[in-house]
Amino acid sequence: MNPDAIRVSGLSKKFTFPVKESSSNWIRNLLFPQTREITAVDAISFAVKPGERVAFIGPNGAGKSTTIKMLTGILFPTLGEIKVLELDPAKDRKKLAYKIGTVFGQRSQLLPNLPLTDSLEFFGVMYDLPNRDIRNRIRELTDLFQLHAFVDQPVRKLSLGQRMRAEVAAALMHKPEIIFLDEPTIGLDVVAKKSLRDLLLTINKEESTTIFLTSHDVGDIESLCTRTIVINHGKIIKDLPTRELARTFVYEKYIDLIPEKSFEHFPDLPEGIRYLTQNKNKITVVVDNNTIGLQESLKKLLDLFEVEDIDVYSADLEAVIRHIYEKVPHERTPTRK
Amino acid sequence: MKELRLANKIVTTQIKDRIHYPGRLVADTLANIGRCGILLLLYWYVFNLREGTIQNTTFLLVAWSMFFYFAFSVLRLRDIGKTIMEDVRSGTVEILLNKPISYILYRAWWQLGGGLYSFLVIGIIGTILLTTLIGIPDTMMNLTFALSLAAVFILGIVLSLILYSIVGMLAFWIEEIRPIFWMVDKSVMILGGSYLPIALFPDIMYKLAIWSPFGASQFVTHTMYPSWTREWYSFVGIQLFWIAILGMFTYFLFQKAKQKLSVNGG
Repeated sequence: MNPDAIRVSGLSKKFTFPVKESSSNWIRNLLFPQTREITAVDAISFAVKPGERVAFIGPNGAGKSTTIKMLTGILFPTLGEIKVLELDPAKDRKKLAYKIGTVFGQRSQLLPNLPLTDSLEFFGVMYDLPNRDIRNRIRELTDLFQLHAFVDQPVRKLSLGQRMRAEVAAALMHKPEIIFLDEPTIGLDVVAKKSLRDLLLTINKEESTTIFLTSHDVGDIESLCTRTIVINHGKIIKDLPTRELARTFVYEKYIDLIPEKSFEHFPDLPEGIRYLTQNKNKITVVVDNNTIGLQESLKKLLDLFEVEDIDVYSADLEAVIRHIYEKVPHERTPTRK
Repeated sequence: MKELRLANKIVTTQIKDRIHYPGRLVADTLANIGRCGILLLLYWYVFNLREGTIQNTTFLLVAWSMFFYFAFSVLRLRDIGKTIMEDVRSGTVEILLNKPISYILYRAWWQLGGGLYSFLVIGIIGTILLTTLIGIPDTMMNLTFALSLAAVFILGIVLSLILYSIVGMLAFWIEEIRPIFWMVDKSVMILGGSYLPIALFPDIMYKLAIWSPFGASQFVTHTMYPSWTREWYSFVGIQLFWIAILGMFTYFLFQKAKQKLSVNGG
């Protein structure tokens, strides 16, 4: 049986930083500064199988990037154990670097003034690939990522979409077993996003590359990842197949009511049902299934309105994630100190 | 072998990058010829006032000493401190920390590669100009000079990179390292003989220039003086001493710095 690609147990990261006390003078602040501790990641555990495509999501400041940085050996954990491809990232950083690739959406790793081929060659040498393999891999990636049109252009002249394709290609030069992507589609237009997602799916399929991704983009999660881990306030609050996200998190149904003629009155609704939109041609209501069942709510709505058509549907993934981000923090005890 | 291949790739990539911008090279050349040229004119005037000799030193020796300082400074090794500081402040350090490289060594080769092309061009132009205008001192016309110059030049590069890397790494602890950088940089400039040639230093400053790592990183400016052939091996020894001590310090400092790292978004 293949060992897990990533195994994390009881992982925590605390940051300590000095804070200025306004009541103290500057000498005291300099020599005996007060410090504050923040728990960015709080005793999380999970495992990822080789070839899996995992989305690691959460609101800003939830601990996503800190976790990725610990998994890649950039940050040292305060507590807990990490095994990535059976290596400890903190101790075997360089050895692990040969087996993983990283893309940070907001930082470029390419050489800005030189043509893209120079960056790809540069990474090839950095990963100690023989010259012939470098040439072959550049050819492969150029074909796969359709880099032909701009491979000879200086990187700083590329569009954002082209640059992100190039960033991912560079991260794949050494055929990593896992690729970590931190918001790879940030700032891209819909076409560029789709193109990048398709390429990542191809890489996952053809080279069995495990994908571990953080993103605020629902499309990334929906179209790329089969599994989603939700983190907030440093704790994992859910780890489930992506298709079950909506079912697990949303206790609400949406009902569209289309009138026979037109709606003239908008009466008060029973408890658990509220208007989302109300106009003469269409009413949309939200039903809270924790308060009222779907069947009962339909009966009550039909008593109140004369309708020609009814459409019942769940929230889309974007609404689900908004729901998670907005509601979950209030349901859990904050862990920040 | 892998390290050498990577070093070669970094240096050649940086040279290629610099060649793409000939304007920068022209500006560098003019700035250095201007700075060095003005100082040499002033010293030429002062030496003439004193009938060509001050403290048993001639203008010819002083001019070459100052030229060596300026040529060495064209390598811009000091900028490794600022680069590391920027890496830490901007978070770019995370891009390099997840590569199979030694971060400090990578930055050192990167810095060296960035300055090498300008150094070669400006060094050659300056040597031709100086040789044509004022000639070459006899002390520079022997094999010991050539070999020892190569040794202190290479060791000077290593020591400079270590010194400024230490300053840069302080950014892991201190948000604003510019004042520290300024102090170290001015110490190197003064004790290296950029303002006043080392032959004219008072005794205490001369001793500081020899025994401090700041002065030791600029021993190339000592190589044309007559005493050099008798003393060069002790100068090399001093450089090796500081490289060993500060090199170990750099290693331990970096191990601590990595654990201190805290970048945007974690």
